[in-house]
Amino acid sequence: MTAAAHPRPSAVAQAVAIAGRSVKGVLRQPPQWVPSLVFPLFFNAVSAAAFDRTRALPGFPEVNSFLTFLLPATILQGVLLGATAAGNDAAVDIENGFFDRLVLSPMSRVSLLGGRLVGSMALGVVQVVFFLAVLSVFGARLENPVAGILVLVVVGALLAGAVGAFSVSIALRTGSVEAVNGFFPIFFAALFMSSAFFPPSLSGGWFETVASVNPITWIVDGLREVIIEGWVPGAAAKAVAVSLALGILAIFMATRSLAARIRT
Amino acid sequence: MTEPILAEGLVRKFGDLVAVDGIDLCVAQGEVFGFLGPNGAGKSTTVRMLTTLLSPSAGTARVAGYDVVTQAAEVRRVIGVALQDAAIDPIMTGRELLKLQAVLHGIPRRISRERGDELLSRVGLSAAADRRVGTYSGGMRRRLDLALALIHEPRVLFLDEPTTGLDPTSRMALWEEVRRLNGEFGTTVLLTTQYLEEADQLAGRIAIIDGGRIVRQGEPEALKDAVGSPTLRVDVDPDHLTRAAEVLQKFGEIRPARSGRLAIGLEGGAARLAEVVRALDAAGVVLNHMELDAPSLDDVFAEATGRRLEGAEEPPAPVEVGG
Repeated sequence: MTAAAHPRPSAVAQAVAIAGRSVKGVLRQPPQWVPSLVFPLFFNAVSAAAFDRTRALPGFPEVNSFLTFLLPATILQGVLLGATAAGNDAAVDIENGFFDRLVLSPMSRVSLLGGRLVGSMALGVVQVVFFLAVLSVFGARLENPVAGILVLVVVGALLAGAVGAFSVSIALRTGSVEAVNGFFPIFFAALFMSSAFFPPSLSGGWFETVASVNPITWIVDGLREVIIEGWVPGAAAKAVAVSLALGILAIFMATRSLAARIRT
Repeated sequence: MTEPILAEGLVRKFGDLVAVDGIDLCVAQGEVFGFLGPNGAGKSTTVRMLTTLLSPSAGTARVAGYDVVTQAAEVRRVIGVALQDAAIDPIMTGRELLKLQAVLHGIPRRISRERGDELLSRVGLSAAADRRVGTYSGGMRRRLDLALALIHEPRVLFLDEPTTGLDPTSRMALWEEVRRLNGEFGTTVLLTTQYLEEADQLAGRIAIIDGGRIVRQGEPEALKDAVGSPTLRVDVDPDHLTRAAEVLQKFGEIRPARSGRLAIGLEGGAARLAEVVRALDAAGVVLNHMELDAPSLDDVFAEATGRRLEGAEEPPAPVEVGG
């Protein structure tokens, strides 16, 4: 039993293995994924009941149901809740030492980070499909289902990757589950200070100003236009581009954090 | 042939704290090398540098011929590591973790399946292989950790305090496995431990580390022989401690002992035991307990550092000897 004469490990195979482990890890811990499916639906149901009549306000987008209006918010909420699991898992790995075992293997750093993010994105896609299915049953409508589903799935996956990368970055910097959870309210505050739950133009004041410069508003508005109007290339591109930009920024941060943790 | 582990002037600082202070180490092919020292001595920090987890602040180290800083990726391909506190994901099963480890090392699926089954059987975990690791006992986790470290057939195996916290049966089982790996496969092993018996049982050579420095290095028997006289430990009535020390120091040098006890290196060995008893009796010292031990690694440690390693014994209390 000497001399490791194995071929050089494949970075793709390593990333797939890490992604598989991430997905398994989440699925085996229901507290990690049940709330990310249940809470957005609950919030959606409450909001729809409370604010359905606001659809009659002048300037409110023309939608068949408040559920349709809230569809982007529901998806973003779910993705924010679900994708932080990637950061939680990374922090737990650091705390219990499993991260050291991964680093001690001849594993590419791209696979170490990429695997987790692919796992996050896969779960993000599942969430989007789940929310679309449930809300469709209760009356939410996509003007062009094919385009709508495609754009929502792509944006959901990109945002899951972005939030996953950001939370992993926090985990790598701090090595603490508490720190990862501590950042979660920031994501949620950003969601509430956007057009996700109510048109900012109808609110006016500082809220409208803040929402107009919030990247989440740009994503939500793009998604909403695709949902309501059908295939609108400019709107779809806006939602995808902003999500992609956030993803690139978060991956850059996570890469820096990984380098800092490994270079100890 | 390249030495599996070669370190020169290895230093690691954490701010102002010097955790490892200029360690030189040379471990030969097929050797089980013991790194013995108390908690905080610098054992784990040294292992973390040798396994590429920490960068040295100064000095160089090569493992299997590869530099741990500039060729870290190559080092990781040829080493197996079982770190302190069995770093294992509790959500996965034992078999899944072995499979993951095999993929990370680029081992083809068919080979990894066979080797995984063989390792699980060898460490006695076949029956528990499909259970989540969270349900394993401490001993089972350690054994799985060892199997994970071996899946890619490493040239050099690092075991960082592999039996800390284990019950005696699990400890013996792990010792057997280390002996087998070294005996049957010639795997070079660097083992850190704070247990004297473990170092004595497993290591062909040991280095005693204290305060980040190697204070003694060599074969256990040679180190013990160098201590010379056996240690006489005496437990007397607390009121007679000073008087007893006055008597005992005539028979050999005072050695570190647990608080409330006395120890000396008894010159002349067991032949002088009766003489000691008579002298203590003549001085009116009430003896509670007395034992004479051949030099141990604890004596080697005590001789080198002025402290006992075993049982958290403290330095000897200063004894006022009348004159």
